[in-house]
Amino acid sequence: MLNTILKKLIRTSGRNRNTMAVVGLFIGLLLILAAVQIQANYQQILYSKTSQDSIADFLVVNKTLTDKNIGVATLSTAEINDLKQQPFVEKIGTLTPSRFRVSVQSISKQIPFYSDFFFESVPDEFLDVNTPAWQWNETSNFIPMIIPNMFLDMYNFGFAQSQHLPQLSQNLITSLPVQINIQTPTGTVNYYGKVVGFSDRISSVLVPQPFMDWANKKFGTDVNQQPSRVIIQTKDASGSGLADYFAKHHLSTSAQKTRFEKYRGVITTVVAISWVMGGLMFLFALIVLTLFIQLAIASAKEEIYLLITLGTAPKQLQSFLRKQFLPANIITVVVALAVIAALQFILQKVLAAQNIFISRYISYYAIIAAAIILLLINLVNNRAIKKYISYNN
Amino acid sequence: MQLQLQNIVPIPLKDKLLQRDSGVWNKNLQFEQGEFIKIKAPSGVGKTTFIHIIYKLRKDFEGNVVWNKKSLSLVNADELALLRQQHISIIFQDLRLFPNLTARENIELKRVLQQPLYESRMIDNMAEQLGIASVLHQKASVCSYGEQQRIAILRSLMQPFDWLIMDEPFSHLDKNNIDKAAALIEAECKKRNAGFILTDLEDDEHFKYTGFLNL
Repeated sequence: MLNTILKKLIRTSGRNRNTMAVVGLFIGLLLILAAVQIQANYQQILYSKTSQDSIADFLVVNKTLTDKNIGVATLSTAEINDLKQQPFVEKIGTLTPSRFRVSVQSISKQIPFYSDFFFESVPDEFLDVNTPAWQWNETSNFIPMIIPNMFLDMYNFGFAQSQHLPQLSQNLITSLPVQINIQTPTGTVNYYGKVVGFSDRISSVLVPQPFMDWANKKFGTDVNQQPSRVIIQTKDASGSGLADYFAKHHLSTSAQKTRFEKYRGVITTVVAISWVMGGLMFLFALIVLTLFIQLAIASAKEEIYLLITLGTAPKQLQSFLRKQFLPANIITVVVALAVIAALQFILQKVLAAQNIFISRYISYYAIIAAAIILLLINLVNNRAIKKYISYNN
Repeated sequence: MQLQLQNIVPIPLKDKLLQRDSGVWNKNLQFEQGEFIKIKAPSGVGKTTFIHIIYKLRKDFEGNVVWNKKSLSLVNADELALLRQQHISIIFQDLRLFPNLTARENIELKRVLQQPLYESRMIDNMAEQLGIASVLHQKASVCSYGEQQRIAILRSLMQPFDWLIMDEPFSHLDKNNIDKAAALIEAECKKRNAGFILTDLEDDEHFKYTGFLNL
């Protein structure tokens, strides 16, 4: 009842200014929350196992070949363990080479070819190809393979043209089964193989790890060979710690393709701009809100004076005013969060079409950020209310 | 609750007041709860100033106003609000109603400012007694001064109090209405075992005063 009367005396709805403050607040909030969400998505892509376009740095590491270590350039278990301990290494996986002779030939008369070949395999989590076809067991009809994009480019734009051979698209290659001949001590064994993906990360012909383990065991000639290449995931491929370590231990690496470096730059810039703009908008909105509160109190100065004369406690007035501003603040924050959630939902769909996988829902960080911002707005509001009410007393 | 006045003199009127003999200014006085005090004075010697000093609307005075053994100068904003909600009620000479609120809202405000003492139908009861029931729905600004005065009286009676401070509360009422208002005020004071301080220009017999002072 008291609030009903106070509402008549202290008008907090000077519509235009209030709308301006709320709109400013909303835009600022939107930008800040978008920055948080983009950052969260970015982190997710950076460290996810499922995205084709994972933009973390993956480096394939091997010993630097010199005249002296030709033929024995393998990495010992101790060396791998030492590498695992390094701060720049997030994850490490070994590339398993095939220990049997293998050749590939076309079964199509239109595009005949034959080549001696080799296979390697890596744990799936290091792959940048995500397809359901990437699996193998002993009952499988064909062996899935992943070949480097670079390989195809070399063929299409170099080899094919000079030899008057047809150029091959990715689609054509994946629909083209090949015959794989594995030579064993007792003769040749034939399998069907199929290219199921193209990698930008690992420049080798990859087969699934289960097939490799099975085939090495069944057809392998050398026993328990040490790996000569490992793949590492690192946060910062350009860090000096990594370079120093590699130089000291005579290791070398194929530099990760820089295809995503420019994306990283763009994302970082977008996030930074979003942060700065959002922060500035938010700051202005806070100032406008504070001015609005000051104005509302100043324009009801006489009423407030009389209310206090009649015995209204400053605390009663403050709590009344807080209640007047709180709902608008909560609604603004919730709506901003809802808009971000909707955008995230749409973005997820758009990116999934390009084989980039992010969460369908907004991250906890965005929600936490919204809560902190709400708290901050109220803190500023309450301070303004307290300041101008006790000033009036 | 006890009220002590310790040599209070308003600074702006100091020279003028100290030249004449006063029963209040620069005196040590003590009033016990339940006393009915009349302070009489002609215009211009500080009746309203006195009322404002003991209600802590003015601080430009020498001496001490002591409510319940605590000097008013030491009372902070929250304690002052409590004092005005629970212990001291007031009728201003200039009434001080909110012009944009209805008569009922003006009265209701004082009822709900603290834990209500009376239910809201008490407003209708008392308004009936004072003859202002028909204007309760009107904005205070369109009520006549006499009606506004009765609204102000009613407002002051809606809250709990130990002391009722009245500054020429009947200045715009006729004899008949004064009698009704005085009867209501006396009944409400007795109900609360409260006292009052009333200032006026002339002698009167509206109440059975227990103390009488010339300002």
